[in-house]
Amino acid sequence: MASDRSRRRLFLVGIVGTLAIVTVYVTGGVVAGTKSIARTVVSPFSWAADFVARPVGHMVAGIVNYSDVEAQNQQLRYLLGRETLQADQNAVAAQQLRELSQSLHVPVAATLGTVFAQVTVLSPTNFSATVTIDKGQDEGVMDGMPVVADGGLVGRIIGASSHSATVRLLTDTGSVVGATFGNGATSVLISGQGLNNPMSVTGIPDTASIGVGGLLSTNGLQGGLFPPGLPVGRVTKLIINPGSSSYSVTLAPTANLNNLAYVDVVLWEPST
Amino acid sequence: MTQARGLITLVTLIVVAVQFAVFTEWRFAGVVVMLVWLWPVAVGLTGLTSLALFAGLLSGLLFDAQSATPFGLSALVGLLLAYFASRLGKEGVGDLDSAALWVTPALAAAAGFIAPLIFVVSGVFALNFSLWRGSLLDSMLVNAVAFFLLARPVTRVAFAMSATARRARR
Repeated sequence: MASDRSRRRLFLVGIVGTLAIVTVYVTGGVVAGTKSIARTVVSPFSWAADFVARPVGHMVAGIVNYSDVEAQNQQLRYLLGRETLQADQNAVAAQQLRELSQSLHVPVAATLGTVFAQVTVLSPTNFSATVTIDKGQDEGVMDGMPVVADGGLVGRIIGASSHSATVRLLTDTGSVVGATFGNGATSVLISGQGLNNPMSVTGIPDTASIGVGGLLSTNGLQGGLFPPGLPVGRVTKLIINPGSSSYSVTLAPTANLNNLAYVDVVLWEPST
Repeated sequence: MTQARGLITLVTLIVVAVQFAVFTEWRFAGVVVMLVWLWPVAVGLTGLTSLALFAGLLSGLLFDAQSATPFGLSALVGLLLAYFASRLGKEGVGDLDSAALWVTPALAAAAGFIAPLIFVVSGVFALNFSLWRGSLLDSMLVNAVAFFLLARPVTRVAFAMSATARRARR
């Protein structure tokens, strides 16, 4: 039997070792390889567990949500028809925008190529808002590229391997997006506040003309992380605190981040 | 001991796989239940400190490998839970057969409540000061309830494995 002292020593060695790993991670050391090995080790077990768990989950969800799913399906068919009509009208406008942006040498999201991807893994933890997609470096997906879906910005790529990539969502506490609204005269920062919380905005002066429902989109400033014009979110709450000269604003992402199945990676790399 | 460690490795891999395949998909109040933290607690309650530490470290690192949070933080939480649970296990506090029915679930619930808090506080060491802005309180409450409910079956598996380890020692 191991003595108390040796157990304590083992515990301390474990703690020191783990802290060393965290330190190496924080200082940007060689952890990517370790992560990749660990993923490879877990993946067959994950696949097997998924193989068993998924049909059970689908069965339960199917029984519980059948009527909702049918109603949703009818609504989606209606929306698809309406969007098809809108898409035809937009095609003409997009062509004009393309010609205009080319003549002005301004990168606009609508003129950039995209890579279609499927969301394979939702954030596995309560403390980061990320998803994993099934496209990676081999398909042209690189670190820093913006990801869009459902009519708005979703986040950006923070790690790409050969056939998969991790997307940091707008709601992640580490996410900050430069944005603008109205005539584009004011630039603000949108920060994520956690997976299930609305985003917050700082720096909107009380003289700005913005109200609840107002749309904020990426500002595309020189050296920024996103091209201009990507819708980010809509204002849900606008408060002005006594004595303050700026609004305290919360906003909801334009895209529904809780129900992401497919996304588009915009083939645009931030300039350095 | 090698046989026990092999068995622990195998079960830990299955626990991590179930974590990703089941608990990442089936959220409760939008919160992920951290089975990878309950597992080292369960092994710790058997009183086998070194195996519990091994389970905590392995499950934490394998989980961290798939997560965007700082690498090693979940393992750190797993190690702490494993060590303190094993101290209680040594005293026979969490023994499924001799202790009262509610003792193991109550200990696990306490671990589930405190674990997310330890994670967030440890985040400071990784220079990440914004982890608390996630769903900390929700996470603490949901994990406490989930650990309470899952404690007995998970600890039963751990005790079955500890029997193998003790046999191997003799």
